[in-house]
Amino acid sequence: MLEKTGIATPENLADITPSAERMAKGPVAVIECFQRIPCNPCQTACKRGAIKEFEDINDIPGIDHEKCNGCGMCVSNCPGLSIFIIDETYSDKEALVKVPYEFLPLPAEGSFVTGLDREGKPVCRAKVAKVLNTKVQDRTPVVSLVVPKELSMTVRCFSIEDFYSDNTIVCRCEEITLGEIRELIRKGYQSLDEIKRISRAGMGPCQGRTCRQLIMQELASSTGRKMSELRMSTFRPPAKPIKLGALVGGEDNE
Amino acid sequence: MNKTASVVIIGGGISGCAIAYNLAKKGVRDIVVIEKSFLSSGSTGRCGAGVRMQWGTEMNCRLAKYSIEYYEKANEVLEYEFDIDFKQSGYLIVAATEKEDVQFRKNVELQNSLGIPSVYLTPKEAKEIIPYMDETKIISATFCPKDGHLNPFHTTQAFANAAKRLGVEIMTYTTVNGIKVEHGRVVGVETDKGFISTPVVVNAAGGHSKQIGDMVGVDIPVYPERHQILVTEPVAPLQGPMYMGFALNIYCQQSPEGSFIMGRGDENEPRDGRINSSWHFLEEMAKSCTSLLPLLSKLNIVRQWAGLYCMSPDRQPIYGPVKELEGFYLATGFSGHGFMFGPVTGVVIAESILGETPTIPIHMLDKDRFKRGELLLEPSVV
Repeated sequence: MLEKTGIATPENLADITPSAERMAKGPVAVIECFQRIPCNPCQTACKRGAIKEFEDINDIPGIDHEKCNGCGMCVSNCPGLSIFIIDETYSDKEALVKVPYEFLPLPAEGSFVTGLDREGKPVCRAKVAKVLNTKVQDRTPVVSLVVPKELSMTVRCFSIEDFYSDNTIVCRCEEITLGEIRELIRKGYQSLDEIKRISRAGMGPCQGRTCRQLIMQELASSTGRKMSELRMSTFRPPAKPIKLGALVGGEDNE
Repeated sequence: MNKTASVVIIGGGISGCAIAYNLAKKGVRDIVVIEKSFLSSGSTGRCGAGVRMQWGTEMNCRLAKYSIEYYEKANEVLEYEFDIDFKQSGYLIVAATEKEDVQFRKNVELQNSLGIPSVYLTPKEAKEIIPYMDETKIISATFCPKDGHLNPFHTTQAFANAAKRLGVEIMTYTTVNGIKVEHGRVVGVETDKGFISTPVVVNAAGGHSKQIGDMVGVDIPVYPERHQILVTEPVAPLQGPMYMGFALNIYCQQSPEGSFIMGRGDENEPRDGRINSSWHFLEEMAKSCTSLLPLLSKLNIVRQWAGLYCMSPDRQPIYGPVKELEGFYLATGFSGHGFMFGPVTGVVIAESILGETPTIPIHMLDKDRFKRGELLLEPSVV
């Protein structure tokens, strides 16, 4: 599979994932290099001897996770951008994932970006904790992303566009953006009902099936309340659109 | 959290917000509006959002004309940051009975005498305005191009924001639990957020105004009547004007964003303040709509809701002070037309409280007209 898709499979990852005990101790390098090619800069970059000497330059790197302290020297030295530092001790619920990033522009520290998995699918919102870009990195900057802990072995890149950005469409029927919702919350509209009535979010054909939850999330996160404490808007009939003609029996509601 | 106010207005709909704004504009300070939920959460936000000058009594014609002319410039006057979405694409009111036809001829004469540009139309002429209507179902119609449609939420918010800029305090999510009376006059309002001392209380509580009256033993001869509305998916512009029939019990309009809004009431329902949605309404509405405007049978209904008309015995508002309790003012009994009368309600109630000569004489709209038997029965109500 890997040869065809370029995406590591769970089996591939099982071989290279550090033990849970090691993860619990702090930052550690995860080498996602699965193909024999003549390449060894990671081994020479490692000052701690955690990456074993190559017998053949085509060898796949072997790492002793116990010796690795997660310094990250190997990350920007890997031409294949396949080494990451994972720190699951970052906080109770978050992990730090350091990824090599060779695109411009670089994200600003403190900004939010969209965490992507190995296939490039957006999986979470990630905060940029640090951008390391000195001579040592040699134009392969290392970006530290704060991600939900359960995604520490999932997030491997990011899109600089925050998918929770103001431009994100929250209500697709009425094309209301997150920015518009945030602005209304700032102006003092304090419930889903109020936001719905003033913005039309949730009044379109889908009747709020998508935006209802998203607006509730935004209300909760911006007011520091739990979603369960917020007032839901009324669910109104009909449950799904029905033709006027179908109600009088004259028209199929296909 | 007790406080003192010069005026407390109960009800955060169009009437309450417009009264607060007009009082504040006239220099009254310490005005409080109390709303038990959010602004326009009651009848204002549930209404069909149409406004018309085509009425059957001189009083209603004048109240409506004033209000519509106000709405024409409301965005600017109220300095509203969004848009109240006022579109004047007219009302086509259809007569389905001989009696209605006779009445409509009289109505147009009255309306024209008051400067309202309505016209009497044959079914064929009416069909030119809404080409897909079944003109065989009607006898005649009247049309006024100045009638229209605007957004109740934004309109209420526009009055509320302007009022707030003038210092009005709007307390949402606040419930009135009682009104304190001493020596035959109002002295304060008890709410779940504390007591507010005030010499003036305005009852603008719409479908709940009777309960507010009951708190102080003022019997207001109104009752709530459920009216229901359905809204369809949005489609390309098809229908400019509102289609309305009284005997046919229908109003149907395409809103500016493309969805059709149609509604009706049932005067035989229990008068218990229910605002749930019924399947019966969907069927009855669909029957009327597909028979009168057959093209619309292809439209998908996406939502229905209900609200309360606050019905008065003569289908006209009840305005002003009450004899039995000093400091207690009414702005109620709109019988389904509170939203369209919002601007004039704000003006005349503010004038009434301040003892000024009213812009439109409203003394005959007092509560006691029913006792005196001086009803001004409005024939044109759906």
